[in-house]
Amino acid sequence: MHNINFTKYKYFTLSFSFLAIVFGFVVTFAKYGGFAHSLDFNGGLRTVVELPADKTRNDLEGYFQSKKIEAVVILLEKEKNIYQLDIGLGSLDTIESLYKEIPEVNRESSTSAIDRFVQLLRYEYKLPKEKVLSADQVGAVVGGELTEVGITLLLTTLAIILLYLSIRSQFKFALASSIALVHDILMTLALIGFLQIKPSVPIIAALLTLLGYSINDKIVVFDRIRENAHGKDNLALSNIINVSITQTLGRTINTSFTTMISVVAIIVGGAVELYDFAFVLLFGVIVGTYSSIYIAAPISEIYDQLRKKRFA
Amino acid sequence: MQSYRLLILPFLILAVSFTILYPNFADRTLKIVVREDVYSLPEADQKTRVNALFERWANDYGKTSGWTIEPQGTLPPKENPFYTVKGRFITSAKINQISQENQSLVSESKNKLEPTWIEETIRGGKSLSIKLGLDLQGGMRVVLKGDFDDYTSKLKDLYAKELSELNLTLNNPTAKPEEKEKAKSRLAEIESSFDLSPMRKIVELEKAKMIIDNRLTTQNLTEPQVRIQKEQDAIEVSLPGVSNSAAILEILQNTETVEYRLEEPTPFLFKGQIADSERRMMDLGKRENTDIYLFQELVKNKAGKKAQDEFLESLEKKYNIPKDFKVYAMWARGNSAKSALLPRSFVVLERKIALSGNDMTNAQPSYNSNSYGWMVSFTLTPNGAEKFFDLTSQNRGRNLAIVWGDKVISNPVINDPIAGGRAEISGSFSEQEAIRLANVISEGALPIPLSVLEMRFIGPTLGIESIEVGVKAVAIGFFLVMVYMIFYYRLGGFIADLSLLVNIIILAALLTLMDFTLTLPGIAGIILTAGMAVDANVIIYERIREEIEEGRALSIAVTRGFENAFWTIMDANVTTLIAGILMIRLGNGPIKGFAITLCWGIVTTLFTSLFLSRLFMELTVNRLGVHHLNLRPFFFGKKETTNA
Repeated sequence: MHNINFTKYKYFTLSFSFLAIVFGFVVTFAKYGGFAHSLDFNGGLRTVVELPADKTRNDLEGYFQSKKIEAVVILLEKEKNIYQLDIGLGSLDTIESLYKEIPEVNRESSTSAIDRFVQLLRYEYKLPKEKVLSADQVGAVVGGELTEVGITLLLTTLAIILLYLSIRSQFKFALASSIALVHDILMTLALIGFLQIKPSVPIIAALLTLLGYSINDKIVVFDRIRENAHGKDNLALSNIINVSITQTLGRTINTSFTTMISVVAIIVGGAVELYDFAFVLLFGVIVGTYSSIYIAAPISEIYDQLRKKRFA
Repeated sequence: MQSYRLLILPFLILAVSFTILYPNFADRTLKIVVREDVYSLPEADQKTRVNALFERWANDYGKTSGWTIEPQGTLPPKENPFYTVKGRFITSAKINQISQENQSLVSESKNKLEPTWIEETIRGGKSLSIKLGLDLQGGMRVVLKGDFDDYTSKLKDLYAKELSELNLTLNNPTAKPEEKEKAKSRLAEIESSFDLSPMRKIVELEKAKMIIDNRLTTQNLTEPQVRIQKEQDAIEVSLPGVSNSAAILEILQNTETVEYRLEEPTPFLFKGQIADSERRMMDLGKRENTDIYLFQELVKNKAGKKAQDEFLESLEKKYNIPKDFKVYAMWARGNSAKSALLPRSFVVLERKIALSGNDMTNAQPSYNSNSYGWMVSFTLTPNGAEKFFDLTSQNRGRNLAIVWGDKVISNPVINDPIAGGRAEISGSFSEQEAIRLANVISEGALPIPLSVLEMRFIGPTLGIESIEVGVKAVAIGFFLVMVYMIFYYRLGGFIADLSLLVNIIILAALLTLMDFTLTLPGIAGIILTAGMAVDANVIIYERIREEIEEGRALSIAVTRGFENAFWTIMDANVTTLIAGILMIRLGNGPIKGFAITLCWGIVTTLFTSLFLSRLFMELTVNRLGVHHLNLRPFFFGKKETTNA
């Protein structure tokens, strides 16, 4: 098979990734002031209502969109038309001002955000009291702890991968894999922030899955590089890298393709609440594959060159 | 590895897996037990309650499930006060929903999902069905309110004696100024502990949350969600897959403590009285009238803590026991180690607590091979050690009872003063009880009593639409992957598919055995497992193909292909496994759920791809006489030449 020169564009791909990550985070923080709010991470209002039979999910979503309330609408029971509405903390001010617009006669004075929201909803959809099945202000399930645990987790995982791969193969491959993993996570986080995808438990699951997939992918590529480099210390690493990536390309394409089939099925199938999950996963698989070839391999080459220069 | 005989292993494993998974698909029987008090109601009331159940049954429960319920539309006879529901896929969420929506008719704590014969044989009746998480099937939601009034009043009781002494010192004109100063600061300290600022409340709630978290984990509930609702001073607990919410509630609210109390001085005046009258009853042949028998009945009928307390109080009245003493039951097992832990006799203990759970820490259950029973050893705090030494040196010859909750579990005689900070409790414990007791000592009791503010069934947090579509999508995805593998690797693809299926079946069986609660993150872990399993086969086939292209004989190419791929697959999986184990140790709810499926998935993947695929492949090549193995896709594949 003809070898493809993958490392030729290494400075371009490395700077592209770097800029993409920076861009994503700048937009996230400068434009939106951070990641999107979500019930799982920040807490918020959760209401379960039974709507009249002629109202659909689209009506609800249209209403919230027109009023600029960030809401997640979940259909709980089809037959009874019961919905769960999750409102992030970011929309409390909007709700308060909308509540004040309700005509005096329909308004009971209220101090808590959840009461105001329920009254707004009842007024808007002409709901009798008993159709509001539950309404609570809920705390975050995963928020605070997660950031802390997440960072510890990532760092320890990286440290151990670094150690294991250094022992099993060479430090340069271990280092490159770890940097590429961090790259994948940062890229995905930049995307989540850029698109203001609401962080949630499924999103965490997607991040973890892509982490696992990405590790797997990198090791397969590096194992081949190591094997081909065996006993050929004087050969340029870039050559070996190109040969190895070409050799594993069939496998890389096959695996990415089969992994993506299920993910795409979820997106195409139209499972509304799983859409973000599948989307992040799809992006993650692409980024993971891209970084094995265009980030991890070139970094190991650059490291190799630097080292050789030092000892030359 | 080219023997037919090795085929026994996968078949054996598959047979075991299918057996374990059987209860998930079997026809099952559920008994919905009617509350006792319903039978004494006027007929009209009975009818409304029964009608409510059957109306809902027609509209909701029975419609799609295809379950049958007997007897239809009427109250079951009093001798057999239960409805028998039969059908497939009876989930705990549904059981819960039925019980919650018909509380006035159903006595939830007595509902019973009859174990299948498999569960009966291999697990002693414990469930083997896969539990689904809150996001997938819904479950229970309980809001527990911290009872801070009760908390402060208890605190005041605790400090009552010290407070009056301190006040005495302050008002005493002869007391030295420095003594007064000391008393004053101590007084301020105690009083500040009565002052419950919002911050203090949060701290206490956080403590309670941690203990609840721990308790739920020891109940094998892998993914409960516990959150604090600051606005209401409450803790919200969401419980996926719980079918008996009454039992779980009891565990959650349990303020049970462990403490030491001295028994009444010898010669056991009160205990003797009780024992005498019990013996008289026995002599008259009226075993059913003895207090201990009545008390056992209360326990067996799950009458609740309140009824038990009232019964013991009535005994105190009956035998004129003075205020300083209290009647307890001594709990033990019958003759065999497997019989139930039940009250066996009454003892009378001092009301004063000699040593409380706060004086003990770091409890560990251990097996005592000398007495063939479980015991719990623990460390005493420095303060506790001092108290314990004083107590044991001043009360030689007396009995010192260990009270766990309301149960006296051990009542040894103090032979010698006990110094040093360690002690142990040996009772007739099962392993579970020893673990529970150790947990109570280590975790401490709930800092605040909790009352149920709200309890209800909640729907899945992912909408039903999504779950249906998601399940379909994953199934279609799996199918497409399998078709693609056959398209791409032909016979090799078929073998890979076979081992993928076996992989998923073994994984499901393993997770079932571990009482794992399946949630969306868990499913994500399974998808990743499948992806990596397919990947392992892809790596192997690419290697085999390379060997064939280099002109090696097929059987050698297969062997070398597996050998060359071995370390790549190992490295990839071991690294992921390490990451997974870290996630289990560090992560909480969703991360843990993901990591557990991932880790076990890796174990099964290594087995199926390195052993099973190889076995199938080598048997195909060496025994079934396949000489041409084309590992190129249909339509595109150029014909390969092998030197078979």
